[in-house]
Amino acid sequence: MEATKNPGRRPIRVLLTKVGLDGHDRGVKVIAQALRDAGMEVIYAGLRRTPEEIARIVLEEDADVLGLSILSGAVVPLTRRVTAALKENQVDDVVLVVGGIVPEPARAELNAMGISGVFSPGTSLRDIVSFIRNNVPEERSYQESK
Amino acid sequence: MKTELSRPAASYDDWLEQHREDLKDPRKKSFESPNGIPVETLYTPEHLEREGWSYQRDVGYPGQTPYTRGFTPGGYRQQLWKMEMYAGFGSAEEANQRYRYLMSQGSTGGISIALDLPTQVGYDSDHPMALDEVGQIGVALTSLDDVERVFEGIPLEKVGHIFSTANAIGPIVCAWLLALYQKRGTPTGDCIVQLQNDPIKEYVARGTQFLPIEAAVKLTTDMIEYCRTAAPEWLPISVSGSHMKQAGATCVQEAAFTICNAIAYVESCLDRGMKIDDFGHVLELHFCTEMDFFEEVAKYRAVRKVWTRLVRERFGGTTEKSQHFRLHAATSGRPLTAQQPLNNIARITLQALAQILGGCEQTRTASFDEALGIPTQEAARTSIRTNQIIAYESGVADTVDPLGGSYYVENLTLEYERRIDAIIRQVDGMGGALAAVRDGFYQRALAQGAYREACAIESGEQVVVGVNRFQSDEGQPVPTFKVDPGAAERQLAKLKAVRERRDSAQVASTLEALRMDCKGDRNVMPAILECVKAYATIGEIADVWRDAFGVYVPESVRF
Repeated sequence: MEATKNPGRRPIRVLLTKVGLDGHDRGVKVIAQALRDAGMEVIYAGLRRTPEEIARIVLEEDADVLGLSILSGAVVPLTRRVTAALKENQVDDVVLVVGGIVPEPARAELNAMGISGVFSPGTSLRDIVSFIRNNVPEERSYQESK
Repeated sequence: MKTELSRPAASYDDWLEQHREDLKDPRKKSFESPNGIPVETLYTPEHLEREGWSYQRDVGYPGQTPYTRGFTPGGYRQQLWKMEMYAGFGSAEEANQRYRYLMSQGSTGGISIALDLPTQVGYDSDHPMALDEVGQIGVALTSLDDVERVFEGIPLEKVGHIFSTANAIGPIVCAWLLALYQKRGTPTGDCIVQLQNDPIKEYVARGTQFLPIEAAVKLTTDMIEYCRTAAPEWLPISVSGSHMKQAGATCVQEAAFTICNAIAYVESCLDRGMKIDDFGHVLELHFCTEMDFFEEVAKYRAVRKVWTRLVRERFGGTTEKSQHFRLHAATSGRPLTAQQPLNNIARITLQALAQILGGCEQTRTASFDEALGIPTQEAARTSIRTNQIIAYESGVADTVDPLGGSYYVENLTLEYERRIDAIIRQVDGMGGALAAVRDGFYQRALAQGAYREACAIESGEQVVVGVNRFQSDEGQPVPTFKVDPGAAERQLAKLKAVRERRDSAQVASTLEALRMDCKGDRNVMPAILECVKAYATIGEIADVWRDAFGVYVPESVRF
């Protein structure tokens, strides 16, 4: 699989992380490998990152995509805190996706917050890859130097 | 098919040759277990002969070395396995109600306490990181006050066994329970406490580590050492493979990594001058059982064989008792599906049967709605009934190790023994379990395993009934359990009351004494016991550790 149709573009850069106290990272590591095999650059930032740390790492890594993995049941409030931290740090151009245990009402709330990439267990890896490709704006992944 | 009777085959190869036509188009391209172990068409005595298998040396009799057939001569004829349920949610009061219910339904494994995440990582319920997570996936325990409420009105001697997944916080939970027993005047032998107290695998799979790994192992060792005199009947450690398996380890890796971690703990105890003959019997190895039926049976048989050999040959064990570790098995929540959840009853039954045929003395069964949330009362009851149906209706418990002597199972048991030994040598070569964790060796193995399986399920190569085959549009609505939203608020109110009620000077002085013992590299258990008796909270005690030992820092990994 190719990350980009256009050879002039740099690979899509994805930052994956856990947020909150839940430490189950099987799922997020599967996604990391699937995105890597789709040609993306993947950084997994590990466990229990605070919203402030996440915003900082997004900036440092110049990530195009931020994937939050949450299995603890607190998916909505945790995601809300991350979006607030992103806003506070003026990060407004990262595509936010959420994966984990997301009951229907929580999915609706996330959608209402403007997050359309919400993936529950059983979502096909291919669908996640195409969602990301289709949602990262072309100019984000344009190769400037290199 | 030929019409005349075939001549009896002279050998396995001869038989294959005779039936080449019949065997030509098998159902699958290749037969291989998810662990990569090839599966032959048939197993015969010739297979065992080729492996140099000897009944006396490799299997033996139950209750005798190499313990392949079990630790006791009579197996389940003498005593059925302990049937345990794992539960806990909300605040202490809710958990207390569920435990009373499970005991009234015939759960014989005592009380098994699931803790919420703030508790597991050493935060008080009112810590900013605890927000939204109090009481969510287990019960919130912040001080001795909560522990007293959990056991309110429950006579400990009737419970018999208390278990909890306390890992990094193991010594604190141990101290809480010691304090509770002392207050009630209950002798430690009246109700056995068992704590997981296995931090190493947390850095690999479960993720509740919050100290540097060396400090965590020191605390684990402190607790094992202290319990040998303060509560000699208690089981201070349960080295667990189950979480690594659920995070992607193969069945062989689960067994081998667990044994490597157990070696690290034992060596840490031996370094302090403890003798394996004095503590070998209080160690537990804990695994989970997934769908690969015969491999799971073989795993349990091989683990008994490998570990007891290590006790004799590597650690210098000289008694039967030092070899008789606890072998604990739980059915795995991971293969359970959210789709068509009642199908999970069949999965749980198969897993439970495999671990019983593997000879585990204590088994835990999952509930069919676990892929959806915390089990409802009905699902929890069905789970106990599954164990009871196997025990009382199926007859599998009536003869010892009924699969012993199966050409296939004996072959697999040898294969497991060999593969486990190879991984132990590899980890030894890296410098042991802690080095393997620091290197990321385990973590990579798990991530690769999980990805391999995800791809196999996505491609349809691995069938999951109801998920990638035999899907159904008919919904099977099952009621899901909801944690009472008021539980967190009640928990915060209780914590506030404890802080107001306690003697704050005493809290400060006991915490200071703990700090001195941490810095002085002494066994910290006596100091922690004084802290909890003064109603110091888990967050306060864990903060002393964080100050003294440093904190775990998550690492970014590039894929």
